[in-house]
Amino acid sequence: MSGAVGREPVFPTRQSLGIMKSKLKGAEIGHSLLKRKSEALTKYVRAEITRRIDEAKQKMGRVMQIAAFSLAEVSYAVGGDIGYQIQESAKQARFRVRAKHENVSGVFLPQFESHTETAINDFGLTGLGKGGQQIQRCRETYARAVETLVELASLQTAFLILDEVIKVVNRRVNAIEHVIIPRTENTIKCLYYHPPSPDVAHSNPNTDINSELDELDREEFYRLKKVSGKKQRDVAEADAEILAARQKAAEKEAANNTPAVAAPSTGDTDAPDVLGEQEDNDVIF
Amino acid sequence: MEGLFFNVNAGYVEGIVRGYRNSLLTGQNYSNLTQCETIDDVKLQLGPSYGDFLAALPPNPSTSALAGKMTDKLVAEFRYLIAQSTGSTAKFLEYLTYGYMIDNIALLITGTLHERDTRELLERCHPLGWFETLPVLCVATNIEELYNSVLIETPLAAYFKSSLSHQDLDELNIEIVRNTLFKNYLEDFYNFVNTHPDFAGPTQDVMSEILQFEADRRSINITLNSFGTDLLRPERRKLYPEFGKLYPEGTLMLSRAEDVEGVALAVSANADYKSFFDAVGLSQGGGMGGMGGGPADGKSLEDLFYQKEMEMSKLVFTRQFTPAVVYGWMKLKEQEIRNVTWISECIAQNQKERIGNFISVF
Amino acid sequence: MAAAATYKDRQFLAVIGDEDSVTGLLLAGIGHVTDGPDSQRNFLVVDGKTETSEIEKTFQSFTQERKDIAIVLINQHIAERIRHTVDTFADPFPAILEIPSKDHPYDPEKDSVLKRVRRLFGE
Repeated sequence: MSGAVGREPVFPTRQSLGIMKSKLKGAEIGHSLLKRKSEALTKYVRAEITRRIDEAKQKMGRVMQIAAFSLAEVSYAVGGDIGYQIQESAKQARFRVRAKHENVSGVFLPQFESHTETAINDFGLTGLGKGGQQIQRCRETYARAVETLVELASLQTAFLILDEVIKVVNRRVNAIEHVIIPRTENTIKCLYYHPPSPDVAHSNPNTDINSELDELDREEFYRLKKVSGKKQRDVAEADAEILAARQKAAEKEAANNTPAVAAPSTGDTDAPDVLGEQEDNDVIF
Repeated sequence: MEGLFFNVNAGYVEGIVRGYRNSLLTGQNYSNLTQCETIDDVKLQLGPSYGDFLAALPPNPSTSALAGKMTDKLVAEFRYLIAQSTGSTAKFLEYLTYGYMIDNIALLITGTLHERDTRELLERCHPLGWFETLPVLCVATNIEELYNSVLIETPLAAYFKSSLSHQDLDELNIEIVRNTLFKNYLEDFYNFVNTHPDFAGPTQDVMSEILQFEADRRSINITLNSFGTDLLRPERRKLYPEFGKLYPEGTLMLSRAEDVEGVALAVSANADYKSFFDAVGLSQGGGMGGMGGGPADGKSLEDLFYQKEMEMSKLVFTRQFTPAVVYGWMKLKEQEIRNVTWISECIAQNQKERIGNFISVF
Repeated sequence: MAAAATYKDRQFLAVIGDEDSVTGLLLAGIGHVTDGPDSQRNFLVVDGKTETSEIEKTFQSFTQERKDIAIVLINQHIAERIRHTVDTFADPFPAILEIPSKDHPYDPEKDSVLKRVRRLFGE
């Protein structure tokens, strides 16, 4: 699982480990927040919008029927077809809409609001000779019907926007849940720093093997070992020189006051002792 | 005396119309129609009186298609009448078509003003208002050309010449143009029936009354409908026909009326109109509310006017030796088409509770 | 929000419908004809003779080109004729509203938005 999601391309340092850890925490908080937002929006859509859309659509069916009927009354009263005349006299919209905002869980929903430009009256004189009253009534009926339509359009737009938002939020929730969190966790696993004690490091082979910091540690350990080995060699050489110098001095002394046979025997036992002691001191890790 | 030679020229036409009258739907037919469940049922019920004309309709036709076919029958019958008539009767029948011509020309003016292809409008024109030179008007591309062709080509020239210039067509609202024309038409028609020697007697009596009613109705409607619009009182006054039962005092009061009560006051001198206003509750300070919501029994002022018109048209048939029966028959037939359209509209839209809101006089 | 700037000046309704629907809605006062020589109407009357391509073109112009339209009303039976275009149009602006007409009662099964509602809840 963790292998499939890969890991963040960061340098394996303690600092990035810290960053990764806080990132994981942030992702978890964000995930729960987004999830709640998505749930809130879905609930809102389910409880409010769809119910109201359903209601409004039914209402629309009714009002449009009434409106259509009032048009039938007009054609009864006028005794003819006024359609063409109406189409030609239309110039300026009397019925307009304005968009307003409503904030739902941080989403701005436009709300259409209908208003009438009362100064504009294209059909004031239509049906002057006959049928004017029916036309007037029909206009009122249709204006009410259109108000219902505008209401419905608001709901519908709100639904479409929320639908989109919910999709985006869900996509984010899923991304965090299935990509970002596992990947961050994986990165942390890789970076995770284990204490140098060999038994601790080996007790958890799962993390140990993948752990990059451990790898680094081992490299460092090896490097230090190499360094110390070099140092030992240097020290040994230096000791040998000192020993040789001492031997020379001792030979000189021995040549002066002690027999030559005793001196080499002490020198042989001394040298390994010194080396052993130095080695012990050097191993500090 | 006037009846002595009437039948020589117009007897056939009158006879035919009386025959047509008998095919008008009766109360029994209407009550059958209101029981229908679908437009197909309506079509079936209309079978005896409309017969072949409805045969071409598809199953469950739209109400407008149905109305169109019914109008076709009216048109066909009227054309037959006009083809059979001569002399003063023919002239009288022509007068009947002028009202439709006004509507057609208003349509063409609207189209020309908006630079539409007026040829497409020809099929929207009412067939009764069709005259041979109507398509010629479509050639006009601007309003001045149209105005000139109207003057040259149409029987309505007189109605234009006296009161409208081509600038007026451009500037005035088409409704004002239409109503000005209609006013001129009514006055001319009224003058025609009252001065023509052939019509002395029954025609003059009957038509005067009907046209006076028509004039009053228009005056009242124009007044009522102009409230709340930018039609000013002096202009409004110009649209009132200068005859009728209300003329001149009533129309003067109408021209000064500023609300429904003013109109009610203006018409209160006439018992008929007063009773209409009382019936719909407009005279008791109900204001526009009475118009907006409609009175309780579903009758509006216009319904009452239609009712009255129908009764007058029916009474025309009690007179003889007059082409006025053609007028009566046409009005009755138009109302019948409106009724059937209304009924089928109610059926199509499932609004049965108001289905009885039609006017039947037989 | 990026949309905020675009929908502030949307103030008109547009309609694509049969003659009766258009007439009624125009009576309500939604009709608007823009000034100038290339004046555009915000309504289209569709009858039996209207080509589907013309409906489509008008729909595109109302939804994409014109920036002053907030709501497009379209008769459901006409929306059926350009169903694919209506279904693929997913922007919140302008709002597309399918309305019943006199002869064609409203069928929620066909509505693009209600389809999306059902999809959202996996029904």
